Amino acid sequence: MWLRTLGPFAGLGLVVLIFALLTGSPGKYLSISNLRIVLSQTMIVALGAIGMTLIIISGGIDLSVGSNIALTSVVTALALRHSWPPSVALLGGIIVGGLVGLVNGLAITSLRVVPFIATLGMLGIARGAAKWAAGEQTVNVPPTWVNELAVTFPKQRWLIVAPGVWIALLLAIFVAVLLQNTIFGRHVFALGSNEAAARACGIYTARLKLWIYSLAGLFFGLAGVMQLSRLRQGDPTVAVGVELDVIAAVVIGGGSLTGGEGSILGSMVGALIMAFLRNGCQQIGWPNYIQEIIIGGIIVLAVAVDRLRALHASS
Amino acid sequence: MLDGTVHTRLYEIKSVKVFSDRSQATPVAARNLAHARKPRKKRMSIVKCNRFILVVSLAAMSLFAACKSDKGSSKHFTIAVVPQGSTHEFWKSIHAGANKASRDLAGLGLEVSVLWKGPLREDDREQQVQVVEGFLSQGINGIVLAPFDRRALVRPVEEAKRAGIPTIVIDSALDSDDVVSFLASDNYHGGELAADLMGKLLAGKGKVLMLRYQEGSASTEAREQGFLEKMKSSYPNIALLSSNQYAGATRDTAKRAAENLLNRYGDQIQGMFTPNESSTAGTLLALEDINKAGKIVFLGFDSSEPFLKAMREGKLQGIVVQNPFRMGEWGVKTMVDHLLGRPVPKKIDTGVQLITPENLDSPESRQLLHPPLDQYLK
Amino acid sequence: MALLKLSGIHKSFGATVALDGADLDLRRGEVLALIGENGAGKSTLMNILAGAYRPDTGRMEVGGREYAPANPLHAKRQGIAHIHQELSLCPHLSVAENILLGVEPGQFGWLQGGALLRRTDELLANFGHTEVRADTRVADLPPSTRQIVEICRALAWDARIILMDEPTSSLQRTDVERLFATIRGLCAKGIAVIYISHFLEEVREITDRFTVLRDGRTVCTGQLSATADGELIAHMVGRPVQSLFARRRSQLPGEVILEVNGLQALPAVKNVSFELHRGEVLGIAGLVGSGRTELIRTLFGLESAAAGEVKIRRQPVAAPARSPSRNIQHGMGYLSEDRNGEGLLSHLSIKDNLTLTRISSSWGWIRSRVEAKQAADWMLRLKIKAHDSASPVRGLSGGNQQKVLLARLLHQDPDVLLLDEPTRGVDISSKKEIYEQINQLAAGGKAILMTSSYLPELFGISDRLAVMTRGTLSPALPIDQWTPDSVLQVAIGGEQRRERT
Repeated sequence: MWLRTLGPFAGLGLVVLIFALLTGSPGKYLSISNLRIVLSQTMIVALGAIGMTLIIISGGIDLSVGSNIALTSVVTALALRHSWPPSVALLGGIIVGGLVGLVNGLAITSLRVVPFIATLGMLGIARGAAKWAAGEQTVNVPPTWVNELAVTFPKQRWLIVAPGVWIALLLAIFVAVLLQNTIFGRHVFALGSNEAAARACGIYTARLKLWIYSLAGLFFGLAGVMQLSRLRQGDPTVAVGVELDVIAAVVIGGGSLTGGEGSILGSMVGALIMAFLRNGCQQIGWPNYIQEIIIGGIIVLAVAVDRLRALHASS
Repeated sequence: MLDGTVHTRLYEIKSVKVFSDRSQATPVAARNLAHARKPRKKRMSIVKCNRFILVVSLAAMSLFAACKSDKGSSKHFTIAVVPQGSTHEFWKSIHAGANKASRDLAGLGLEVSVLWKGPLREDDREQQVQVVEGFLSQGINGIVLAPFDRRALVRPVEEAKRAGIPTIVIDSALDSDDVVSFLASDNYHGGELAADLMGKLLAGKGKVLMLRYQEGSASTEAREQGFLEKMKSSYPNIALLSSNQYAGATRDTAKRAAENLLNRYGDQIQGMFTPNESSTAGTLLALEDINKAGKIVFLGFDSSEPFLKAMREGKLQGIVVQNPFRMGEWGVKTMVDHLLGRPVPKKIDTGVQLITPENLDSPESRQLLHPPLDQYLK
Repeated sequence: MALLKLSGIHKSFGATVALDGADLDLRRGEVLALIGENGAGKSTLMNILAGAYRPDTGRMEVGGREYAPANPLHAKRQGIAHIHQELSLCPHLSVAENILLGVEPGQFGWLQGGALLRRTDELLANFGHTEVRADTRVADLPPSTRQIVEICRALAWDARIILMDEPTSSLQRTDVERLFATIRGLCAKGIAVIYISHFLEEVREITDRFTVLRDGRTVCTGQLSATADGELIAHMVGRPVQSLFARRRSQLPGEVILEVNGLQALPAVKNVSFELHRGEVLGIAGLVGSGRTELIRTLFGLESAAAGEVKIRRQPVAAPARSPSRNIQHGMGYLSEDRNGEGLLSHLSIKDNLTLTRISSSWGWIRSRVEAKQAADWMLRLKIKAHDSASPVRGLSGGNQQKVLLARLLHQDPDVLLLDEPTRGVDISSKKEIYEQINQLAAGGKAILMTSSYLPELFGISDRLAVMTRGTLSPALPIDQWTPDSVLQVAIGGEQRRERT
């Protein structure tokens, strides 16, 4: 059991170690400032992965994450530009993310569209809505504290890393506890493990799915706000394909696309592995295609190792 | 890369003060007349072509005047303008320019509808191919195209020609003989301008980074090439620590790439160059985040509101700007000339200029940096 | 000489013995009826013949030569075709594509469409079914025609022996006659058929020779014309009621807790009425496909009822409110016959599985210590063998898994228990523990509705028994008014119910 939990960490350690040696200047690769950079680059994928972990454990999938991030970053940017108070704008962005998730959930439960298709549809709808809302251009925002959320080197030095990183960390802990120690979490696992059995055990599966997709949507909304904060503008074309990074993070961290398995801790480690990889490749000076090949290989490898381990454990 | 070099070399038009005084919204003829340049290596061609446009435009005017008075009816053209994207200011300037051309020509009694449509996803050449293909069946008279890729768009353009629809390429080169004309900034020269400024500001020595834009984009490759070659030939004591990393399609990817590079080389370098809007924006954000903005010489390409602010704050020492507004305007007008059966030159330079904190507020720069978008994008 | 000869076939799955010395012989051009109760091993035997399973021991001969198929394809090549109870056609493909699946005429992997249709037409014509069009999609065909397609597929492989497992279960009477004509046609061509059916009158119509299988053994082979129904049933039921069942002293039935009137959930459940009292076990017998499972699922709200009235503790429960969650709140509990499909959460631990219907919590937070204690207690009480309550449930044996599910039900502590085949696929010792628990529950005043395919079990444990036949439930009578024969008679006969008093 502990091997399962530690597996992803070992992978992360290995990646960091290898790249520290390969960059030729381990001091720099392992420095606090590089850590800050990697963490603030991971923040968005990590927030997405928190929501996605919930969804994947419940046996679903959400392909609309990238579009949702773009939409919420545009909505928040528009609200800020119309000089709404930053806290209201931020909340508005998160809520829009939650609403997108709710619509996904409704399509899945009421219209009986499988999650893959429902969210594939939303991938287009949310992206289009973002472009429409932004008037097909980027939305610049006035400087507010929202811009400081994802800054690599925070103004308040005692924070050490970006406030957004701390927020992501706290939320990750919160959801991890939610999954492990609450009835809601238990039901999420039950739903993903065997939906028919969950229903026969008296779980309102449809209602539960609505909650899961909405809650995950809130996380995607927050990721959108962080994206805005990183770029200081709402860009409707941003985050194309982020859903694949997010899914990869969850899968590297031990999530199973057939449901019933996964952990927040694993997903966070998965997100970090990918960020350290990209960061390392760039610092070595390897071309993009090498990064792409390595990350692709790692996804397959991580899942294969996981399956082997499961096989080993059961025999 | 080699290919890109060859291509840009073919189209090597040097000019120093490109936009002296042609930014007033005057009729195209007047602006072209005022388009005087200092003679340099190959300036003959550009002067020729500008004069040519003048001639063509004048001819067109008279022709339409004649048409109008003769028959009281006017000819109608539909021209598709296909940019690489639609959200960035650069593309909006092209759009505004194209609309201006349409209005100008309407004033001459020539009805020209401009259909503006970009690819759905901005970093996807396949999508742009589809947009062009989609237009082939829509009964248009011509295409003004800013190709995403120098090769991927060749096939649709050749197919368009076979269907009797001519194409004019703007902004970024296309490897095809089937285009009527190619209007672009002299990107190679833009890179050289940046290199010159860099060399000057660093007094000929130091260490510099260049972050490339994206694989396969001809215009930015030319800028990178110009920068690199000029640095090597004129400032041999400046070392380039890294010039093989790509910023990617968006600000976000650019910011990440810049952060990663700066972590590695940040404390060694004195200068940095980025070849387009998104890479400049991303790098600027990265420099601001690590408090390095203003501590090194940072030169970018293309303009946007945040860049001007950064220049005033001393975080950005210079940008090379193009004239996208003119690309759009001239693109459409050249197409109309061609459709009217007038010969048009194969290549037309729309100019590049260096903007620095010093000349930021000069009237010429203002005109260039703030094209009348609102006036034409309604 | 026999075309097919099986002798001494043994096969077990884990601890369960499915075949324990089955013998059978089949001649050219005859129909052999293979009869036996549910679970007697008929389907396993057919699967072995068709190459899906390999026997543990025993010998098979086809045409005098040893026959040991490595896989279904191998069996098909040897001329043995298996037509399953649920047809195995690809509904989206055409008749021709289905019939010639695996033997498509083609060159270098390219399908020859014309040849495909020609060959199919040829087969259909040979078979006397020119009314079937080769290019129709199978999904658009009625069930009886699909059966023809399935048989034609067997012919396309040049089958010499065709195994038919309950081929009439989805057919109307007229279609049954067509099927019989078809079978006679096959026999005339020298093809032999093994025909499995529960319906004795049907069997008598199509053939004369039979073999009875019971508990995985061949108990009798003979001529139907010389054997009365009663004798056949005696062969099928055969065994004495085992001493697994600690007979509970009969107690006075308590108040009525569940009352069902005219319940209908088409197509499986047509008309069901009964009353269930506290402190009793009401057994429901019936053949597979009679609607037993659907009845239980409808009662629990897993399938929606078309009509009928359900009262719990004399309170009518409106149809829309009959969701599983509501029923659980009303004190109902359910044990599915489909352990993996609808029971176990295979990724989760024993503890998580066990407590899912009633998690000890305050304000949504699980009290994990209490939960672990509860799980450990249940494991001890039901003798669930596992390392600890946090071990994954998928590592357990079938019997222990079933006990986990029973423990979940006991932990939920419902007043009405709906048990669908509670001992399916479970070894003897686990069975015994499950029976004990059921007895204790009844003694403790719970009401239990239980189905089973295993008659001795129902006789051993029920206070009253009702028989389900094609969607209709017979009146529930005290168990001593039934005999295994009369149960089977009602189950098979449908309309004629014989009650022995």
